[in-house]
Amino acid sequence: MSLFNSLIPSSGRAVTGSGNGHSPDIGPSVKPAYEVKETDDAFGLTVYLPGVSKDGLDITAESDQLRIAGRRAWKQPEGWTALYRESPAVPFELVLSHDNAIQLEKIHAELRDGVLRLSLPKSETIKPRKIAVA
Amino acid sequence: MRLVRYSNPNVRSLAPAFGFSSRSPWTGLEDQIDQLFDSALSGLVGSSRTQFPVDLYEDKENTYVRAELPGISRDDVSVELVEGYLTITAARKEKAGDGEESVSFSRSISIPEDVHSDKVAAAYQDGVLTVTLPKREEAKPRKIAIEVK
Repeated sequence: MSLFNSLIPSSGRAVTGSGNGHSPDIGPSVKPAYEVKETDDAFGLTVYLPGVSKDGLDITAESDQLRIAGRRAWKQPEGWTALYRESPAVPFELVLSHDNAIQLEKIHAELRDGVLRLSLPKSETIKPRKIAVA
Repeated sequence: MRLVRYSNPNVRSLAPAFGFSSRSPWTGLEDQIDQLFDSALSGLVGSSRTQFPVDLYEDKENTYVRAELPGISRDDVSVELVEGYLTITAARKEKAGDGEESVSFSRSISIPEDVHSDKVAAAYQDGVLTVTLPKREEAKPRKIAIEVK
């Protein structure tokens, strides 16, 4: 079995045990595809969460990390047999750490067709400031 | 006795450790593990952004295809059924700075059961496209276009 441990890289694995100290434990989860863009005033975060509705989405912003958890709204109905599956039947979880450079109270989130768009305004302290010389 | 399935020698099985004449006993296992990683990481790795995951289900009356396509417009989805192959084509448009960025997706799936091609329905919700294909007894090859709701 030690062969297996060496064959399977621990980093970059899709399904994690999620036992790494994130606040509410949602069990096994998969990291969604995401993109981060930056403008002068804000960071723009796009997270692809197919099958997640507004009710199943949980965004927690803390002083040093942003946690996005998405539960799939769809459940396999009774009588349906899976012939072939590619999508993992586990919730999405994305934890991004930041250095407290975001105005937490001004975060704006929008979920449409399984795409979550977050606007994270930069805090005033990290914006460039001109200092007048007296 | 080998319990692994035979497969043609690949580059790794010709690794110096095993010599050029003998085949690695792990060849079959390596392939299986590669497949496992490919399926587990598809859609998460940047290079395979245009490949989307598809699930196939069935019950007594229908076969269902569920495709994860977040953020596409209903106008940019086309679903076609041609001789047992269901082809899903979609595009995602995003505003990128001044211009517009467009990513297109396409995938063909072999449908295991013969279906009523004129009763195929498709719905799109929360970024997941569900195609319902009613089953039927006999097969008739024909091409149809399906409207996406």
